[in-house]
Amino acid sequence: MRTTLPVAVAFLSGLIMVVGFFMNPEKTFFGNVEEEVLQWVTIVGGFTLLLGVVSIVRVNSRVVSQKRKDWIYNLATLISVFAMAIPAIMPISSDSNFGSIFYSIFPESWSFLFGTGTYSIYDWLFNYMDSPMMATMFAMLAFYIASAAYRAFRARNAEATLLLLTAVLVMLWRIPMGEAFLRIFSDSLPGYINTYVMSGVNVAVQRGIIIGAALGAASMSLRILLGIERTYMGKG
Amino acid sequence: MTFFGHFEIWLSAFLVLSLFSFLYKDNPFYKMAEHIFAGLSAGYYVGLIWQAVIIQQLVNPMFDQGHWWLVFPGILGALMFARFFSKWSWISRISLAFVIGNTAGVFLISQLHGFVLPQVVSTMISLNPAQGFAATLSALVIVIGVISTLIYFYFSKEHTGILGGTAKVGIWFIMISFGAHFGYTVMGRISLLIGQVQFLLFDWGGSIKQIF
Amino acid sequence: MNFWEKVSGMDRRWIYLLVAISVIFPMLVVIKFPVQITPEARQLFDAVESLPDSSVIFLTFDYYPSTLAETEPMSVAALNQMFRKNMKVVTMTTVPLGGPSIAERVTRKLAEKYGKVYGVDYVNLGYKANYVAVLKGMGSSIEAIYPADNTGTMLKDLPLMQKVKNYNDVKFIYVVADNGIIDYWISIVNAQYGTPVGAGVTAVMAPKMYSFVEAKQLTGLLGGMKGAAEYERLVNHEGNAIRGMDAQSMAHLLIIFLVVIGNIGFFATRKLRRGAQG
Repeated sequence: MRTTLPVAVAFLSGLIMVVGFFMNPEKTFFGNVEEEVLQWVTIVGGFTLLLGVVSIVRVNSRVVSQKRKDWIYNLATLISVFAMAIPAIMPISSDSNFGSIFYSIFPESWSFLFGTGTYSIYDWLFNYMDSPMMATMFAMLAFYIASAAYRAFRARNAEATLLLLTAVLVMLWRIPMGEAFLRIFSDSLPGYINTYVMSGVNVAVQRGIIIGAALGAASMSLRILLGIERTYMGKG
Repeated sequence: MTFFGHFEIWLSAFLVLSLFSFLYKDNPFYKMAEHIFAGLSAGYYVGLIWQAVIIQQLVNPMFDQGHWWLVFPGILGALMFARFFSKWSWISRISLAFVIGNTAGVFLISQLHGFVLPQVVSTMISLNPAQGFAATLSALVIVIGVISTLIYFYFSKEHTGILGGTAKVGIWFIMISFGAHFGYTVMGRISLLIGQVQFLLFDWGGSIKQIF
Repeated sequence: MNFWEKVSGMDRRWIYLLVAISVIFPMLVVIKFPVQITPEARQLFDAVESLPDSSVIFLTFDYYPSTLAETEPMSVAALNQMFRKNMKVVTMTTVPLGGPSIAERVTRKLAEKYGKVYGVDYVNLGYKANYVAVLKGMGSSIEAIYPADNTGTMLKDLPLMQKVKNYNDVKFIYVVADNGIIDYWISIVNAQYGTPVGAGVTAVMAPKMYSFVEAKQLTGLLGGMKGAAEYERLVNHEGNAIRGMDAQSMAHLLIIFLVVIGNIGFFATRKLRRGAQG
């Protein structure tokens, strides 16, 4: 029951998609079933994102309630979760039952602050706090990649030298200053890099990898559908 | 710019600089910003799923349009939370299996039909020298490169003899492609830094200039 | 400790400082080298340009705030081209963190500039979970997956969506992405429904995409901030990507310099290290 039922559900859910591929989605009953199943998957998929949020709240609440080391930071995380989430799930009009109760407490002119629309608290927190911080986290990688290039990018052997030379050539080609520099040697040089490196050797290698990975993904999918691959169920 | 407009920019700039301060060394400003970031991102999911999924895809269609059968995906979604109760955690497998099985079904077709076939077809190109030197050279590069790369990643047989020689050619191709990848990666990372520096110099700088 | 040993053991923070200077300095002292157009960017521009005016086009915001510097200029440039051609633009996202907010912010701003009316000239569908099912599901019915738009207005109440039922009604799909979602636009939507797909992707993803361009599975490609700068030039709209190209150039030159110095140091100290080991 604990493994057979999920395996059967996975098989049926996948089979509908495989068979659906060979049918006209607009004109058959099966097409309607496929459409309905896909709609259901987008709904269930939404709940999976909430699992992560529940985990974050549980872990941080535990640290705060036990006042472990640096618990103040975990408290900041918890406050941030609720500051973002609570205004977002509040009603934006008094049309519903909950809305009428809510706007009997708060003036209805405040409704623009709630929900997820433009000018809401949710949107403001995203635009002025969350978004710049996420962009900065990734911007810091520029420093790390420069440091890594300086310390680890060595021409230790022929293969590494080839990699290094291509990287330098591409770095030059992708900047206006570098492209102007390459044109000193030949006006066609940037075009050759595009044709023979990016659209030539690079395409060949990427194609090999894409074909290999796609065959792997297809066989893994078949294993899941047939119930051979069950690791996604976890332990127990 | 209004007072509130300045406040918005200064708040963003403070958070950006707090995170950048980690480059010098770890400090409480960085830690605080990092934890706020994690919290806000998690909170964002809640608002999004509430509005886009629970209200738009479940509550409204069920109560306004009478699509009562959507209660089933609603239950399947709720069952996901059984994971947090060790005795009942196995129930969440049903919901997970529904999503994973569906994705596997789509993938089984799309990986073969959408990747393998078109990529193989576009590798079957003419090597006839009559088409001109440049075109033949390009075609040769593609054909040799694809075959040698596939052989390099084929581990079911020891890389000796012809197989070993072809794999050796494959690694030269792979090194060139990975070099191009590295060049592009450097470009990407620098671009992200440029974005944040543009914000600090022009937006925050503009605000500083206006105030002082 | 000789000179090269000192150079090799330099504190990482000096390198960080050099990187910061290489990015900040060119923004203060503008040099402006011309941005050359690659054939892939031209192909994407031409594909959109050749569509009849008022065609329905999909523009996706499949990117997180982390890569805004590379991707947002692509979306802005693309919207400039589409609104200038009076195309009917349907935007959507499969990215849960920020996607809907970014799409809303960018489209509203550009629509205001061109005097476009929401619901008639453009619609923002917003986000739905599980992108594989979303992409596949829209093949038969967009309304089945998106019963309402980003703000909760039912699709049946939006005039534009009355004539856009599924991919058959869409002339072109312009994907701007910073993650693997582009693979599924190609392998599910383009392969199974035949709708042409063009892409603007982050630099990290660009090398893989060349393979799809060559196989004609992608109609045109923009790679990273340079790709965005090319598109800005093509649509005649100077934005953050063109403005960032000088800084990009200087930082690349610095990294090449660091690689060269690092290697000289490596070979200069290798003898010493071998001597010490021997």
